Amino acid sequence: MVFTLLAGNLIHGLLLGGVYGVATMGLSLIFGVINVVNVGHGQFIMVGAFVTLTMFTALGLSPLVAIPAALIIGMALGFFFFYTVMYRLIKAPELTSLLATFAMGILLEEVAKLIFGADFRGYNWGLGKITLAITTIPMSKVYAFIGSIVTALFLYFWFSKTRLGMAVRSVIEDTEGARVCGVNVGWIYALSFAIGIGLTVMSGVLLTMFIPVGINPYMGGGYTLKAFVIAVLGGLTSPYGAFFAGLIFGLIENGAYTLFALIPGVAPFPLTVSLAFWILFFLLLVKPTGLLGK
Amino acid sequence: MNNTISKYYPLIPVLGAYLIMFLIGFIMPGMWQMVALLAFYCALGQSWNIFMGMTGYVDFGYVTFIALGTYGMSLGISYFSQYEWLGVGIIAIGFIFALFLASLSALLEAFIALRLRGAYFAIACIGINEGLRYFIEGAKIWGGSEGIIFFGALTQALGRDTVNQLTSFWADFSVFIIAALAAFLNMYYMRSKIGYALTAVREDEDAAKVMGINTNKYKTIAFLTSGWLGAGVGAMAWGLKLGYVYPGDVFVIHYTVECIVVVLLGGAGTLLGPVVGGLIYGLSKYWLAVIMPGFQLLIFAPIIIIIIVAAPEGVVGLMKRRLKGTKLEMFIE
Amino acid sequence: MFMSLLKLENITKRFGGLVAVDKVSLEIQAGELIGIVGPNGSGKTTLFNVISGVYPPEEGKVIFEGKDITRLPAYKRAPLGLGRTFQIPRPFSSASVRENVAIGAMFGTLSGKVSVDDSLEIADRYIELVGIKAHKDKESGTLTPVEKKMMEIARALAMKPKLLLMDEAMAGMNPKDIDSMVQFIKRIKEEEGIAIVSMVEHIMRAVVGLAERVVVMNFGAKLVDAGTEEALTDPRVVEVYLGHPPDESKWKSEIWKK
Repeated sequence: MVFTLLAGNLIHGLLLGGVYGVATMGLSLIFGVINVVNVGHGQFIMVGAFVTLTMFTALGLSPLVAIPAALIIGMALGFFFFYTVMYRLIKAPELTSLLATFAMGILLEEVAKLIFGADFRGYNWGLGKITLAITTIPMSKVYAFIGSIVTALFLYFWFSKTRLGMAVRSVIEDTEGARVCGVNVGWIYALSFAIGIGLTVMSGVLLTMFIPVGINPYMGGGYTLKAFVIAVLGGLTSPYGAFFAGLIFGLIENGAYTLFALIPGVAPFPLTVSLAFWILFFLLLVKPTGLLGK
Repeated sequence: MNNTISKYYPLIPVLGAYLIMFLIGFIMPGMWQMVALLAFYCALGQSWNIFMGMTGYVDFGYVTFIALGTYGMSLGISYFSQYEWLGVGIIAIGFIFALFLASLSALLEAFIALRLRGAYFAIACIGINEGLRYFIEGAKIWGGSEGIIFFGALTQALGRDTVNQLTSFWADFSVFIIAALAAFLNMYYMRSKIGYALTAVREDEDAAKVMGINTNKYKTIAFLTSGWLGAGVGAMAWGLKLGYVYPGDVFVIHYTVECIVVVLLGGAGTLLGPVVGGLIYGLSKYWLAVIMPGFQLLIFAPIIIIIIVAAPEGVVGLMKRRLKGTKLEMFIE
Repeated sequence: MFMSLLKLENITKRFGGLVAVDKVSLEIQAGELIGIVGPNGSGKTTLFNVISGVYPPEEGKVIFEGKDITRLPAYKRAPLGLGRTFQIPRPFSSASVRENVAIGAMFGTLSGKVSVDDSLEIADRYIELVGIKAHKDKESGTLTPVEKKMMEIARALAMKPKLLLMDEAMAGMNPKDIDSMVQFIKRIKEEEGIAIVSMVEHIMRAVVGLAERVVVMNFGAKLVDAGTEEALTDPRVVEVYLGHPPDESKWKSEIWKK
């Protein structure tokens, strides 16, 4: 009995993992190109969640429409933050860009609180479910997973087949080398930052398709931590690695939740949230050389 | 002889400021609460400064120390209030617990610092904060998500009058003491081998090692010191004063943001900086809380960005530059 | 004392599949002035890094004054008397020149024996010695590259090392400056006594003027280890640099031309 429950939850975990993966790809991209860790990562996911919520409740538009909308809004935000703040900090010590992205995140939280209030909100798409032998899966989750796979594939082709994609890859590999080859590095920085943010905001939509409740201005923090752990698991500069690591993380998370729920006297949900940290700690113990100072 | 004393001149404006603040609060009616709030921010700013200003490592989860301090005090008082013969000693016990818990976190961070730097370290520290908070809630230890309410136990052990005095005066007064202690330690470190070692660590950790500096030892010293001070503030200003603690109330990232604002505004790595920053921020917050409650972070988040971009050295940093070569220079650090 | 100051036994350092240092053995006595030369990529800097402890070798031993320091962490080597300057200077930028050099004094061989004030005094002395006294209170990040190099040397000297590894200290200098630097290094060796200076140089002018003994490296391995003239006129060495065996008479007159 436990095993069917576990297996069922693992499937859900895999699906969620896809979403986590897409969410983290933005983080890895930004880091790979401009060498900045977006500490406000989770807050951009929150933006995507609110975009979905607003479009659904106020405009009656399905979250599927919210996906491209969020991407565009995200990219716009990305360009905005890049040209107002980030580009001045490219040459600055790591500390300053760290604090800047942190402050951006806080700003987003507060603006969201201003507009939407601090309450927890949700929506109900009501699409129905698919029934498998071991579990039932809401259709929205399936769509979310499909959305993640499509995004990942799209990125894969973009990076390997298009000129622009290859330009971005060249900057990740060797900035000066790319510059010398005629790549407009400054523009690539801006574009990559914008795409990274765009992906992150978009993943917020996918996330709500998975978890359509609990949307509030402060929901982002936990996701930053998860994204970070996934990025570390999957290779800090590799967007593909991030995707697969996301899948693994989703599996671990849901598996753990199932097991925790069986232990009496604990609250499984918060315990699972703390899991991200324990994984990180374990990683640091076991793989010390891989992470030292970038 | 003369040289040794003049080295400590920069402490004068700092301690002077604290003294003036204390006197204003003590003498003028109704000012104590505000002054206590200012002292709170100054103390936190100085403690955080020892961490970030000196080592260059940013701990986004710094609030963990404050939270652990609060828990330490709560646990100490809850468990030991039954021993009436201890009297006020239970507060000392609570304080020791606070320091102990903070040490664990500081050592954990020192361990993490072995493996991670820069942004990764910063985020990992958020991880400690979130991890600890949700672990407490999840594993239902220390009262789980409901936390610990020990006000009753405290009153029973010490009597209403003593408790009143404690919460309305002594708790805040001890924050002043901690602030002064933080200033002193800050100065002492800056002037000693520790300060030089940390400067080297901050600027170029690998070169520092080749120069013979045991980088881990010095980072650990800084983390422990900063952690203890933060925990002390938490134990007194939150624990003792309020009489309760629960995870959702204390493991809150935005206090770290406040520390960052205070130190950035004033000038990171300087002695006077956190005091100036604490005063500016504390007063602004107080004032804003009256006019536009709930908007503080909305206003300060972009301010952080502006400071980072336009004036990264903060007020005191700018002052130092202006005053270079003048007599006042030796008082400003 | 018959014990050599520094002894390297079969040091091999690999980075993945690349062998950067290949079974290098070397002995350095107290007070020697040695030049280590070789084309780019010959493993000189890697060798220095292994000696100063930046990373451990895959094989081999580093023995300093009879003590096996192969696995000793870098920060423990400085107090033993191992000093180092870097090819690209690494000042502690926000600290003043004086503070930088004082750090050398505080954590080098005098570690634990000098106070902060003593260290600052020692710093003053070396700052004057290298000739950057005018900049002593400036933020070290604002110095010119040459001034930074001199500060780097002062800082290393303040450590009172027994062995000083100087990595391309004269890179980018014009011939006149190189000659002054050569004289300066000879002076330090004499005045500081025990400090031995071991250089890594492309610049033949400096090597010839300075070194008593030359070690030539190529592809990570030690090619030649002999007195200066003998090493530099060795046909194998010439081949490495010119790509073909030398026309001996022409070569000898070329290299000794002033």
